[in-house]
Amino acid sequence: MDKPRRVVVTGLGAVTSIGTNVTDFWKALLEGTCGIRPFSLFDPSGYRTQTAAQVLEIPDGFLSASERKRTSRADRMGLAAAREAIAQSGLDLSRENPARIGVILGGGTSGLLDSEAYYEQHLHGKKGRPSHVLNHLPDAITDRVAQRFRVEGIKSTITTACSSSANAMGFAHDAIAAGLADVIITGGSDVLARLTYGGFNSLRSVDPEPCRPFDRERRGLSIGEAAGILVFEEWERAKRRGAPILAEFLGYGVTSDAHHMTAPDPSGAAGGRTVRSALAAAGINAEDVDYVNAHGTATPQNDSAETAALKMGLGGRAREIPISSIKSMIGHCLCASGAIEAVATVLTVRDGKIPPTIHYDNPDPACDLDYVPNAAREGDIEVALSDSFAFGGNSSVVVFAREAGVY
Amino acid sequence: MASRGWITGTGAVSPLGRGSQEFYRRLLAGETAVRPMTAEERAGLQATEVARCDGFSPQPEIPPMKARRFDRGSQFAIVSCLEAIREAGFNIADAPEEIGIAMGTGSAGAGALTEFLRVLFLESPEAAPPFHFPNTVANAPASQVSIELKLFGPNVTITQKDPSALNALLYAVLALESGRARAMLAGAVDEWNAIYALGFDRVGALRGEKRRSGIVQGEGGFAMLVETEAAARLRGVRPLASLAGIGFAGVPTDPYRFAPDPAAIRRTIQGALDDARVAPSEVGLWLPSANGVVEMDRAEADVMREIFGAPPRALAVKHAMGEAAASGGGQLVAATRAIADPDGPFPADGRPRRALVNSFGAGGNFLAAVLESPAAAA
Repeated sequence: MDKPRRVVVTGLGAVTSIGTNVTDFWKALLEGTCGIRPFSLFDPSGYRTQTAAQVLEIPDGFLSASERKRTSRADRMGLAAAREAIAQSGLDLSRENPARIGVILGGGTSGLLDSEAYYEQHLHGKKGRPSHVLNHLPDAITDRVAQRFRVEGIKSTITTACSSSANAMGFAHDAIAAGLADVIITGGSDVLARLTYGGFNSLRSVDPEPCRPFDRERRGLSIGEAAGILVFEEWERAKRRGAPILAEFLGYGVTSDAHHMTAPDPSGAAGGRTVRSALAAAGINAEDVDYVNAHGTATPQNDSAETAALKMGLGGRAREIPISSIKSMIGHCLCASGAIEAVATVLTVRDGKIPPTIHYDNPDPACDLDYVPNAAREGDIEVALSDSFAFGGNSSVVVFAREAGVY
Repeated sequence: MASRGWITGTGAVSPLGRGSQEFYRRLLAGETAVRPMTAEERAGLQATEVARCDGFSPQPEIPPMKARRFDRGSQFAIVSCLEAIREAGFNIADAPEEIGIAMGTGSAGAGALTEFLRVLFLESPEAAPPFHFPNTVANAPASQVSIELKLFGPNVTITQKDPSALNALLYAVLALESGRARAMLAGAVDEWNAIYALGFDRVGALRGEKRRSGIVQGEGGFAMLVETEAAARLRGVRPLASLAGIGFAGVPTDPYRFAPDPAAIRRTIQGALDDARVAPSEVGLWLPSANGVVEMDRAEADVMREIFGAPPRALAVKHAMGEAAASGGGQLVAATRAIADPDGPFPADGRPRRALVNSFGAGGNFLAAVLESPAAAA
């Protein structure tokens, strides 16, 4: 594929259950810290599970009291992560042309936690506070980030469920490559809500204990919440201003499974197509891939289908490389999972350190690859993939590489 | 002339009827589907009017037993996308990996979401119906299309206020230009929902008894098949219209606030004209963003006068079908049909036909597109 403008990552931000900045998050990941535990955001009694990976304290002290009041929890987490990412990038936004800077995020539950409260009151014949529904739509977070950081370029919010933020990064890449913007703040923020918590409960796809990706005894996922923000920047421009180049976004694959609304294609053929389309878009071969940050939800169906997909997409290479699921530590952060896992993937490429899959005890014949069980590992990681699969068969695989220019 | 994609088929499920020809014919005839709300629809609202796809049936495209599996938004999407594919004569099975879909929406999933939570809150989390949960995701309509039509290519849904449809079109164009696909279904879908209407009414978004500025809500599903020029030529098809350019701008503001910023509107429209390499005098039709939000409508009219002097003839879509993210899809389909119509709103002077589609929303979101006749694209 013709790639006239290359895209690099110059900033990262993270707000998660195991660390509310990138440094703490990365340290906790490498130590195998589990953020899945009893939580307080709403009352989980009556649900099948009582655990979640909740963010304990959002580092939103930089917001004014009125900003905190007007914004949703997802906004505050996203703004905190965006602030961290922009600071790392060294961009002084007041000196940039705001029209050349965009925001493309994955949309999640957004202000749903508040609008659920409004709706519950309505169902009981009471009038809720209108301010509780103001942030309901998933695009609110995108507008908030643009508002706070005063940027005036392209804005978009991808709403493809659990692949939302992976696809947002893909769109951000395409927009910079096509010259529509020079810098895009991308990623996503998604918070716990009764809809998603209750939804996965109703589908019986949650594990009452912290989830165990790829383990034979896995019983389902653990829900989490997170914000992961990445600053994407055109490569030549980033070099000119001496920006920290953390990794290159080489490309991404985006496909339809066209199989089923909730079940993955068990043969792996659909996911294999996504992996191959990612390799093609990135202009690399399977042999170039050194690590996969898996979708790894710990549902019985996903992990075996993903294993089959990696074998189909990467061939023999799938057996030679480490593959891990950080959902074992931070839960399934739904529409933000692609973003927060991309943050981890970029750090893996930057540092040559591979976060483990924790809670892994029992090998499963249907999941027979190297899942980096229970302990972090070092490795020379030049190219890494991060998988995201979603309801609707919306599959996306993103590709990061160390140091622009090699591939 | 620049061509960023050939539009070879359109589809519509609209308050102005089913099928893009019917939608366009009634729009051109000046009909409106905006009607008083029924007592049931109005319950508790100060809003008085709505435009809905009354009497819509998913048959014959979707058999009755199967149709029950899909929510209303997914039915709109499947029926409109099938129409676009059929008009384009595109055989998906020839190359399923080379065709994808990008849909805009503001409300998809609303019906399933409110029903799931209703049971969760009034009965118990354990009683909440699992059947509804997968359809609460905004991407349900586009993904149901991909499953029904067996499309293996890119599949995204975009929510970015009123310009969601144009945002989806932009994504589709980048997918074509980057070689990810050679054809993309692009459009938008929305379903009217009573609980969402209540929310919009409470936050002051709807026009009604107490407010003269605000929108009348609409719903519908609109689709276009957009192909690369090379792929369409290879198939031996002529386009209905060509997408010549897209422009955009953002204004930093609260997500729910309107920012009637003339500079942003100017940048958006001028961006679309520049991208299309078209002078204002070469545009013969304007599909306004105007939707009844007084200060936004006024700002659009002012900037149009500033850029065009006398603005081109207007074909108002939202006055006829209400506002929803899907209405941008209605504007794009209407512009395409008008360009393809030899007896339509363009003067019969043999000049290339060009239409400007404006789509501006709350939260400081602005997009515009220029579509043109195949003759101009050739």
